[in-house]
Amino acid sequence: MSAPTLAAGQWRGAAALAQREVTRVLRLWSQTVAPNVVSAVLFIAIFGIALGGRIRKIDGIDYEAFIVPGLILMGIGTSAYSNTASSLYQARFDGFIDDPVSGPMRARHLLAAYLAGGVVRGLAIGLFTFLAALLFVDLPAVNPTAAIVAFLLASLAFSALGVGVGLIAKTWDQQSYVGNLVLQPLVFLGGVFYSVNVLAEPWRGLTKADPILYMVAASRHGMLGTSEVNVWLSLGVTAAMTALMVAWAGWLVARGTGLRT
Amino acid sequence: MRGLVPAGFAGKRSITGIVGPMPATVCAVERTANPDIPALSCRDVRKTFAGDVQALDGVDLVVPNGGFVGLLGPNGAGKTTLIRSVVGLVVPDGGDMQVLGRSMRGPDAPAARQLVGYAPQEISLDRFVKVRDLLALHGRYFGMTRADAGERADELLDVFDLTDKAATLPSRLSGGMRRRLMLARALVHRPALVILDEPTAGVDVELRDELWQYIRKLHAAGTSILLTTHYLEEAEELCETVAFIRAGKIVAEGTPAGLRDRYLAARLEDVYRQVVHG
Repeated sequence: MSAPTLAAGQWRGAAALAQREVTRVLRLWSQTVAPNVVSAVLFIAIFGIALGGRIRKIDGIDYEAFIVPGLILMGIGTSAYSNTASSLYQARFDGFIDDPVSGPMRARHLLAAYLAGGVVRGLAIGLFTFLAALLFVDLPAVNPTAAIVAFLLASLAFSALGVGVGLIAKTWDQQSYVGNLVLQPLVFLGGVFYSVNVLAEPWRGLTKADPILYMVAASRHGMLGTSEVNVWLSLGVTAAMTALMVAWAGWLVARGTGLRT
Repeated sequence: MRGLVPAGFAGKRSITGIVGPMPATVCAVERTANPDIPALSCRDVRKTFAGDVQALDGVDLVVPNGGFVGLLGPNGAGKTTLIRSVVGLVVPDGGDMQVLGRSMRGPDAPAARQLVGYAPQEISLDRFVKVRDLLALHGRYFGMTRADAGERADELLDVFDLTDKAATLPSRLSGGMRRRLMLARALVHRPALVILDEPTAGVDVELRDELWQYIRKLHAAGTSILLTTHYLEEAEELCETVAFIRAGKIVAEGTPAGLRDRYLAARLEDVYRQVVHG
């Protein structure tokens, strides 16, 4: 088979695997999309609407609006991660990962396909959360490009993290631990519900060491026009984290971790 | 079906009755310019797993182009490690492995993998995908277009009598249907070399006979086959040559009749006892 024909076939394979991943997300929407959106809406309703009146404005922004970018990012991140981590682990556990892995696809094709599933799920949840939030708050979308770039990069970064963990995990619990005991705390401590400016040291320093702060800050700048961190620094850190996560996941797939013995 | 099905092939192939001639396209193989190039060539293939477990200790094995080789040995002898190496799921520590002259290592590896169809011993079907989609997806994983993969899936559903189950999830199939689906999946992309890892393990006599018929027709149509089995009568019944593997090494190989003569044995089972346990 000639190289161009083989390459075209490999990308057809990647498209098929990506379609399989996306179809799984959409077919299981009541498990993969709805719960995250409902959780985000509950956060807006409880923290923003019910308790928000007792919290003064932050940087001139109503509290219920202030938390929305972070909630969207939280939904994108946790769902993108859990999608790739659980899908890959399930495929390994059941053995049907052998089907695409034994085919002609290379590491980059497998990686692209699995990332696609996580990105689509993450962005779907982000979109629905955004639409639901519009029912409660005004979002001026000062710099939509920055917000969209931040959400795209975040979905990619967390999908890649999920790929890595899905390949390394030896038990179902392990991939859940990373989501619940590592990712979730980092998201909550990344300034989703508060401004880093109101924190005292050492908490301010610790929060600034959390890379998710920069993702939240970039999205908050894009949607509300306010941010605790310079937008270029936020986007730079977000892009660097994404590159790091994708490189790590790609390295694991290329060396066959969890795929080839 | 745009000429995929040759004249004379029409209608369902019952697996409970006599299975009709398998259409050539169901198992059409990529012919090499030189038929002397073996379908599979393994030279000094070695693999050691963690804990210093030497699974393959310099395996030399050839499956001729169009040949049918049985790989026999006790549990833990290295059969599954060897065949998973052939499909790229185990990476050998050393040695050379080629499929129709294409190396399983380096830049040729994807092209080599594309020539191989693999039906593993364990049922490993995507639980989220319906039967027809599962076959079509497999074809697309191996580079087929969506249209070709769909047509091919329909063709194989017909041949393996699974058309009625096209929209069913694999978890709803009987054990026998899953076995047939596993075999069908291995054939979607028309591989030149088919690897069957204990395809009849744990199945009843009726299904075993049906699977044997499919496998025979596959071979008769020109497909090269490497089959592992614990059933000596299966190897004797189906294979042109058999190879015995023990502790990661091929310890004897030849035609069943030739091996019986060489070891002065009445049955292949006696040869097995001599070379594997002797």
